Amino acid sequence: MSAIETAEILVFPGLLFLMVLAFFYEWIDRKFFARVQNRCGPLFAGPAGILQPFADFVKLISKEDIIPAACDKILFDATPIFYFALPLTALFLVPIATQSALVAFEGDLIFMMFIFALIVVTVFLAGWSSMNRFSIIGGVRAALQMLSYEIPLSLAMIGPALAAGSLSISTIAQWQSSHASWGLWLQPIGFGTAIVCMLAELEFVPFDIPEAETEIVAGWRTEFSGRKLALFKLGRDFELVLASALITSLFLGGAQQVGVIPPIVMFLVKTIPVILLFSFLRGIFARLRIDQMTSGMWKYLLPIAILQLLLILFGVGK
Amino acid sequence: MGYASTIKVPFGPQHPALKEPESFIFEVEGDIVVNVTARLGYVHRGVEKAFERRTYIQNLYLAERVCGICSHAHTTCYVQAIEELLNIDPPPRAKYIRTIIAELERLHSHSLWVGVAAHEAGFDTLFMYTWRDREEVMELLEAISGNRVHYAMNTIGGVRRDMPAETFPTVKKHMDSFEKRVNEYSHIMKTEQTFLKRTTGVGILKPEDAVSTCAVGPNLRASGIKEDVRADEPYAAYGETPFQVIVHGGGDVLCRALVRIAEMTESINIIRYALDHIPDGPVRIRAPVAVPAGEAVSRVEAPRGELIHYAKSNGTIKPERYKVRAPTLANIPSLAKTLIGAHLADVPLILAGIDPCFSCMDRMVFVDQNKDKQWVWNMEELKRHAKVERN
Repeated sequence: MSAIETAEILVFPGLLFLMVLAFFYEWIDRKFFARVQNRCGPLFAGPAGILQPFADFVKLISKEDIIPAACDKILFDATPIFYFALPLTALFLVPIATQSALVAFEGDLIFMMFIFALIVVTVFLAGWSSMNRFSIIGGVRAALQMLSYEIPLSLAMIGPALAAGSLSISTIAQWQSSHASWGLWLQPIGFGTAIVCMLAELEFVPFDIPEAETEIVAGWRTEFSGRKLALFKLGRDFELVLASALITSLFLGGAQQVGVIPPIVMFLVKTIPVILLFSFLRGIFARLRIDQMTSGMWKYLLPIAILQLLLILFGVGK
Repeated sequence: MGYASTIKVPFGPQHPALKEPESFIFEVEGDIVVNVTARLGYVHRGVEKAFERRTYIQNLYLAERVCGICSHAHTTCYVQAIEELLNIDPPPRAKYIRTIIAELERLHSHSLWVGVAAHEAGFDTLFMYTWRDREEVMELLEAISGNRVHYAMNTIGGVRRDMPAETFPTVKKHMDSFEKRVNEYSHIMKTEQTFLKRTTGVGILKPEDAVSTCAVGPNLRASGIKEDVRADEPYAAYGETPFQVIVHGGGDVLCRALVRIAEMTESINIIRYALDHIPDGPVRIRAPVAVPAGEAVSRVEAPRGELIHYAKSNGTIKPERYKVRAPTLANIPSLAKTLIGAHLADVPLILAGIDPCFSCMDRMVFVDQNKDKQWVWNMEELKRHAKVERN
């Protein structure tokens, strides 16, 4: 591995850059969400509170790490690391700084779906291993939620792949930018489906059922504290970056080179509106109940996703 | 079922859904509540005993502090009981001022409830908005009485401060702008699909159950029973003020929300009427310090429902016995009916549906039904218990 490759993985657009981006996007999300609710949001750490997510992270790392006596110690220790590592791994598959991702191969879209499923399995195990009633209920809810949104999400992700004729995320993004036909315009139904499923993946209102504060305290995260919680929080931020990056790559043409503007700028320009859309959507709904969410996904979202797929098969949106 | 299919989920004494410490232990089968055990008494403050140790004037301040939200309702109830014992009638202007403050209090209490209910349903945006707009009423109360929470307006024989006529236009202006906000909340609650999904048909309290479990206030009126102390046994200026008793038939959480929203509009109208028709004259009459022997019961429609105070006097300057029956205590039995069979996710909404105010109602009840014994712990035992729990 050359020095440049190592630097790419560790600094830009790898680990360090993604961490900065994760904190930055969390700040955007929190600030915009607060403004939707007519609040100030983060205010004091850094200009307009921009350093607040980082400050929270540092604070949590320095806090006491409490391990419940009854928990499954191995899983309890391992799940925060998995939850942090999985979205990070997935982010290497998405083109960010160049038109092609750091790791790109034919079929990485399938790998991406696999990682999405693994994240929820990690969440379930995290809840299960803490041996806390709130955590177990939260974990079970997370698993139930995945069972309902995963298929529509996969169908929505397959749409752009069919249009581009490739199962590689980088190729799909490049095909869209070179043909000047974004997935958003070709497959608006698929875009909507993907946004709804991503809200569920991110556990945002109206799908924050696994960690519904007023019902089950912090859900599957209840027993985690200190640096484990910090890792969970960072993992959540990576998920936010991943969700917006994936939507950008599959439906908005990805990190494309426009004239002299480098791909990284286009990546930021495209992902930030997606983040704002997520924040806005989570501001305007009440939380659904798990049975309402499950039946709604199967009854309405899945047929809609299949409809989009049928349209593509009949040549519309290709 | 041959195996243990239920798990026990504790709500409280510390839980994000409860703003005050109170314990509910739910037995949950899957997502359905099959049994609930409530344990009260975490915030017992010995207020009734404290009443007996203070003079009637000092008790005025104690009554104010029974509740942090319906402080005016408690003092109104208290002064009415004492005025009945003294056999005096406060001047009409004082009664109108009491009515105005009471309705302003109902406004801020109900908008607080709307926010809490929205928060329990995961609708934090509505929560933030209602609490922002509630400030308008709080500031109005501060402008009138000098305080945001403990207005200290009532005194035995009238009110302590007059409301100058030049404040009336300000109050009316704020009522107009607040009414617009109330209409918007009403619109959001009736049209926002996710909120409707969470509240429609949830925690249904049948009218016959509402009566048999002695539910009070908006909780009762949402079950279709028309009962309101303001109309049934008018006090203050309610006898002269035209207003409607809001009733909804559904008995679910949505109806409780709609009743409260409609009552807010009604309250605004009552305030407007009272401002237009307030008579001139003194605001208080002098009351003797010692109260003749006797007993009195006073009822007030607090924002949460019927509030009952009982006073027994022995002719001295201190009451011999005093009793407060806060509306939440009356609403707790109805909770058991509504909670069993509910989804776990609906529990916070149903709990919040009665607008609980635990510290006003807590009683010392130390009974373990499972072991059938009663006991009291001293501080040393509590400390020892805490140590054992930790290890």
